[in-house]
Amino acid sequence: MSQSVTTGRRGGTLGRRAGLALRRDWQLWVLMLPALAFFVVFCYFPMYGVQIAFRDYKAAFGITGSQWVGLKYFEKFFSSYYCGRMFANTFLLNLYGLIFGFPIPILLAILLNQLNHRRFKGFAQTAIYVPHFISTVVLAGMIYLFFSPTNGIINHLITAGGGKSIYFIMEPGWFRPLFIGSEIWQNAGWNTILYIATLTSIDPQLYEAATIDGATRWNKIVHIDIPHLIPIAVMMLILNCGSLLSSNTDKALLLQTSGNMAKSDILGVYVYNVGIAASKAQYSYASAIGLCLNVINFVIIMLVNAVSRRMSEISLF
Amino acid sequence: MSVAVKKRTRIRETRKDRVFNALNLIFWLAVLFIVLYPLWLILIASVSDPDAVLQAKVLLWPVDFSLMGYEAVFQYQELWGSYLNSIFYTVVGSALSVVVSLAAAYALSRRFAGKKLVNLAITFTMFFSGGLIPIFLNVRDLGLYNTRTIMILMNLVSVWNLMVARTYIQTSIPNELYEAAVMDGADHFTYFFRCVLPLSGTIVAVLSVYYGVARWNDYFTGLVMLRDRKLYPLQLVLREILTALTSTGSSDTFFAAYADNLGGLQEALRKAEVAKYCCIVVSTVPAVLLYVFMQKYFVKGVMIGSLKG
Repeated sequence: MSQSVTTGRRGGTLGRRAGLALRRDWQLWVLMLPALAFFVVFCYFPMYGVQIAFRDYKAAFGITGSQWVGLKYFEKFFSSYYCGRMFANTFLLNLYGLIFGFPIPILLAILLNQLNHRRFKGFAQTAIYVPHFISTVVLAGMIYLFFSPTNGIINHLITAGGGKSIYFIMEPGWFRPLFIGSEIWQNAGWNTILYIATLTSIDPQLYEAATIDGATRWNKIVHIDIPHLIPIAVMMLILNCGSLLSSNTDKALLLQTSGNMAKSDILGVYVYNVGIAASKAQYSYASAIGLCLNVINFVIIMLVNAVSRRMSEISLF
Repeated sequence: MSVAVKKRTRIRETRKDRVFNALNLIFWLAVLFIVLYPLWLILIASVSDPDAVLQAKVLLWPVDFSLMGYEAVFQYQELWGSYLNSIFYTVVGSALSVVVSLAAAYALSRRFAGKKLVNLAITFTMFFSGGLIPIFLNVRDLGLYNTRTIMILMNLVSVWNLMVARTYIQTSIPNELYEAAVMDGADHFTYFFRCVLPLSGTIVAVLSVYYGVARWNDYFTGLVMLRDRKLYPLQLVLREILTALTSTGSSDTFFAAYADNLGGLQEALRKAEVAKYCCIVVSTVPAVLLYVFMQKYFVKGVMIGSLKG
């Protein structure tokens, strides 16, 4: 400790100051300890373990004992036949999800705000949050039931209308509509919360003044509501762009069938299939893919955050 | 008198506005139909006759009311075993999550040396992780694979919930209280247990419902971390019942296994379809009820979180 840097102001060494601080704050560290231990063991240990992406992992040799193979598995992944398809599937699923899913909560919030009847408004607000609390498994189960080719209500309607029954869950073309449609059904209502909060914080005098000037409800939406919503909407949009290559693995896994692989084959699910579900799991290969993805997503988020900070002075950190 | 005055001073809505209101009402009726009809359909199908359900005759009201599906579900012991497992994982896990998060949130709301570093280390885990396989191997190396412990410890602390709790403590408990407590000789432990906890009813409720719903609805942790069917949470068993395709699917075989109790194989298969609806009902009711009773806390959680994201 004797060669620690001397800091000017108090004259003590870094070590002594740390000791003093610890004596003063040790109770805070005790309170934090369980949470910190969790992050170290379940988040930082795996980050250390990610080096198996560069090794030929054999359980018998452990993480550091397995042979170093460098970029072998990364090359294998990028030269594999399905690599391009998986990137495209992942990206497009998120992109379409954003295009169709993003505007709906804003629309719902604006129109909910215009409802006159208090109790009806309260009921509507409560109701649109409900699907958020349904589990992914049940959501997928509902899709399997309602869109079943033989007993599903949708196909009964189609055939009753003279159409031909569609095997939705086996058709690659129907994977994205089902995935995104159910996503909107489940979360569009919940995602209005932030916008509703913004709208309720608008000064009521603005509306009163507008009414006196003869503004219709439509005018008020265009000239009061929308300008107030734009900053937060832009922020949400930018933040959402940060997850364009992320995978909603648990949901995609449930909706993936042998028939719709051409569209449902996304990166997160592939990592699970290769690294966990396969009878002969390829740990190193799957880790390499996972690492690639995490690095790419990390870079995207940092970029998006930098852009957001410059444009709207709003950033995550 | 005052009512009359009020009425007179209020500006009457123009015709354009009345048209707008009518259209808006129609829009909301449509939205509510889209949101609620699928849920209603599941509820009525679960108490209808299997044949009527299979022929999609159940549209607005239960047809040939019967509790056959529920009888079949009650026979299915594995489902109830997993139900108990899920209750255990949810109650014990969420309680632990709340305690650990709240203690850490309090610490992070105070000033201490090294706070920046701790904040950075925690936030970093939100944006970068080792990935599924290293997490899995880590759990296996720790000897926690296929144990109840891992179902409790996995996802113990969510960074988001931690930040929500910290923001709550920072904004709703005045710093003067801390100063007064310190004057009276309180240390951090005393202040946390005697002052912060009693004032944290709201945030405890918010965290409980957030952690609780997330744990109740999670199937992926069990899928990756468990091998032994006796340890399966409800959602994992549901997955096999609900998302197996009928031709090859296991759901029919599940119920076929109970054929003796259900009045023969044919009858078991007939009931299997309705039983799926019943499974959805019995598994979803706890989470939705929790939401309905704790509504204000859910919304509050989002609000606190958005204060300082």
